[in-house]
Amino acid sequence: MTEHRSDLAEQKLSTLTLDGELVEFTKGETIYEIANRHRKEVPTLCYDERLEAFGACRLCVVEVEGIRNPVASCTTAATDGMVIKTNTETIEKHRKTLLELVASENRNVDVNALSGYSSQEMTILVDRYSARTGRFSGKQSGTSNTGDKNPFILRDYDNCISCYRCVRVCAEREGDYAINVMNRGFHTQIITEFNNDLRDSNCTFCGQCVQTCPTGALGDKKALRDADTEGEIKKTRTICPYCGVGCSVDMLSKGDKIVGIQPAMDGPANEGALCIKGQYAFDFIQNDDRLAKPLVRREDGELHECEWDEALDRAAEGFKKVKDQYGRHAVYGIASGRAPHEAAYTMQKYIRATYGTNYIDNCSRS
Amino acid sequence: MVNRSPSHLNPIALLNVAGSDNVTTGFALFALLTFSHHPLILSPMSRESNQALIERWKDEPAPLLPLLHAFHNRDGYLSDDAIKAVSEGLRIPLAELFGTVTFYHHFSREAPGKAAPRVCTGNICCLHGGDDLLESLKDKGATPMPCAGRCDDMIPVIIGDKAYVGLGKDSLEHRATPIPAPNPGGSTECLFAHIREEGRNTLAGYRATGGYSALEKTLKDSTPEALIGLITDSKLAGRGGAGFPTGVKWKAVADAPGDPKAIVCNADEGEPGCFKDRAIMDHDPFALIEGMTLASFATGAPLGFIYLRYEYPETERLLEDAIEDARASGLIGENILGSGHTFHLYVRRGAGAYICGEEGSLLNSLEGKHPFPRNKPPFPVTHGYNDKPTAVNNVETLASVPHIVENGAQWYRDLGEGDHAGTKLISLSGDIQRPGNYEVPIGLPLSTLLYEWAGGPKEGRTVQAVTMAGLSGGFIAGEDLNITLDEPSIRSKGSFLGAGGIMVLDDSRDMVKAAHDAMSFFAHESCGKCFPCRIGTQRMTERLGGEANTLEPSAWIAEIEDIGSTMMSTSACGLGMAAPHVTKSLMKYFPEQVEAFLAKG
Repeated sequence: MTEHRSDLAEQKLSTLTLDGELVEFTKGETIYEIANRHRKEVPTLCYDERLEAFGACRLCVVEVEGIRNPVASCTTAATDGMVIKTNTETIEKHRKTLLELVASENRNVDVNALSGYSSQEMTILVDRYSARTGRFSGKQSGTSNTGDKNPFILRDYDNCISCYRCVRVCAEREGDYAINVMNRGFHTQIITEFNNDLRDSNCTFCGQCVQTCPTGALGDKKALRDADTEGEIKKTRTICPYCGVGCSVDMLSKGDKIVGIQPAMDGPANEGALCIKGQYAFDFIQNDDRLAKPLVRREDGELHECEWDEALDRAAEGFKKVKDQYGRHAVYGIASGRAPHEAAYTMQKYIRATYGTNYIDNCSRS
Repeated sequence: MVNRSPSHLNPIALLNVAGSDNVTTGFALFALLTFSHHPLILSPMSRESNQALIERWKDEPAPLLPLLHAFHNRDGYLSDDAIKAVSEGLRIPLAELFGTVTFYHHFSREAPGKAAPRVCTGNICCLHGGDDLLESLKDKGATPMPCAGRCDDMIPVIIGDKAYVGLGKDSLEHRATPIPAPNPGGSTECLFAHIREEGRNTLAGYRATGGYSALEKTLKDSTPEALIGLITDSKLAGRGGAGFPTGVKWKAVADAPGDPKAIVCNADEGEPGCFKDRAIMDHDPFALIEGMTLASFATGAPLGFIYLRYEYPETERLLEDAIEDARASGLIGENILGSGHTFHLYVRRGAGAYICGEEGSLLNSLEGKHPFPRNKPPFPVTHGYNDKPTAVNNVETLASVPHIVENGAQWYRDLGEGDHAGTKLISLSGDIQRPGNYEVPIGLPLSTLLYEWAGGPKEGRTVQAVTMAGLSGGFIAGEDLNITLDEPSIRSKGSFLGAGGIMVLDDSRDMVKAAHDAMSFFAHESCGKCFPCRIGTQRMTERLGGEANTLEPSAWIAEIEDIGSTMMSTSACGLGMAAPHVTKSLMKYFPEQVEAFLAKG
């Protein structure tokens, strides 16, 4: 051990003692990050690794030798030689008390998993710490705003625990600053400016607040339409078809039915972010109105189903006519962002080679 | 030189309508007199435009609070239109600004707003009938406010920018902050040595009694290092309650990289039962200003703020005028007394939030952010105002500095009893013959202060308990009342001296109710950031208020103890850590009162 220490000293690596084990860390890392790396399962409710550590829930407190009170590991930078204990009896007792307090202010510990990506976090912790004791009963916090007339985001603040992850993700990740916190203490409430509906605010309905909410206070209204639909929730990793960014998503399905979309927190392009289209605009996939066959307008002026050969011939005829009559620059191609690279390439080749124009673009770019 | 004794601020507002049969008439007359020359009542012609207000403030340091106050003064409340204009003018997201505005107790969102009376229903004022006074003013739109820092007088009522004293249910009077009584103990004073002298709060009066000689001699003959050495040597420590050595703090700021550095005076004095800083600022404001100028010289900070609590409206004007007079005499601003040292000082008024006395919240508030406490480390000495090195010091600490420079470190150290250095201001209130501010040698027995200096309890009563650190230290009672007034002695009893507020509760008082009132205050003032404090103060208040008496006594006690222990250990700032002192001391000293309370069911 002593030898190991001196080796490390020579390499000028920082080390600390984590639950009796000497571990290395990089300057700037927080205690929580190090503990997490060593699978210490330190509980948190206000933490989202994509956001600046906030230090609200205090569940992540750990004991540090030489410091009288436990410290919040998420906001405390590790220093060389620290001696840290992450799960002493005292610490675990404080965590249980905190979870009992949180459970006591909240109306529902159990929420449907379709509410959002993180919606089970509190439930899991409350059960892990056996905190459904009914202790500390009293007034419950938060005023539900389920009347907010938007089709996407359920605002059921009866279940809000004021961790401010929604406020922070909106500001830090999305840059919308659409929501914030009103009042103080037990009366804090998540609001838009002047406590209006979301659609009257800067909200872009990206849904990131929903996905980071650890209690289901913010819920995915579209997915929750299928709360009572039979079947297990199945997650299928795929790429959002809408634009060129390539956001990774998990498509949620029950049986054969697509019920919702969740962003992939580990998606390399999006790290949990989506936009309103990727998050909520999936109804077309299984919509009855979706075209299954091409349509052409015949002499009667109505659209009629037909085979692809007829449709393509008709389109080619139209393009040719336009080019002959008005010249090559009368044609302008816009490739769909939902098409793959190969199709986009073919599209520009088609426009350039067939018509002799460079009027070609992609909807992701415009 | 204008005499700025606060009693002269509004000579015609003095009105006592006690005995009037008609409260409404009495109030209307009083209101007429008060408002006739009040800035709130501006003719429509003189109403400044949104743009004019924004232009005036947007490039000033720490502009949000004064700009919000400007709109609040103009309209009497903060309208949606005003908040939108400020949001655009200062480029603060609208939802964030709206949230921040709602954080502050005293910002109104609708009429009558600022013009409506705010009546102190703090712990001491309730003993004096604060609730009744509030009730009698309800038809004027009166709302309650937490302790407004005037517990040595009758019930404070703030209307517009004036602080009145409620003498009874239909009688209000505008009068000056009480001057500390003549030193009853005969010990040498530091802060109060000259405070009772006529005109001390004018520049001429201050200079006539030795003021500014400390700054003159320091700028002429000394160096920042020597000044820091002197203050370190004096053992002066943070008098706001934290007790951190002032010299060490200043050295950390002086040594930290980053410019411009700042000196921030914490004049938020929000702790219930504390009113000492008010006495200094009202009666000896130049001592504070000179102390801050010396601090700026020591640390190399060209920028300073006095963060003043909302509840001291007259003090704001008095400080502004005092700074202006100092500037006109070359004692503050550019190139002070030809020394080349520059220090610009600004007053910023809070808007009603106890948590803004916590230095991280205070700095966030100054910067126009949501006033949640900051995570520490980093500390303000390296990352303070605008993330630059900042010394945040209490009024009392800063106002001690000129005296120490004048008389020497040894002199100051020797002011304390035994090994204790210096003096402490104690704000004494409640069931005591002579409430008021007292400057005690640190280490003075509490009993000497209570019985010899302040005359003991009211006739026929005995002292049942005292609070410590205002409310944050909880109660001290029984044999523990034999403590001496210094941190080691008080901490040995599980409490602390803190900012020096001591409220006396005699044997007629219900201690469970006193604890409930105290915890209600903490619940009202909890910022809502960290879970243990946000939920814990609420649950404690409910339990002390009898809302959970269906619990078995043992379960009730276990809940109180578990919440208290978790709050003390895991809260993010001092508010949540200290609040359980109330319940802890209640159970320690008054188990039989708790038992009787629980037996009531």
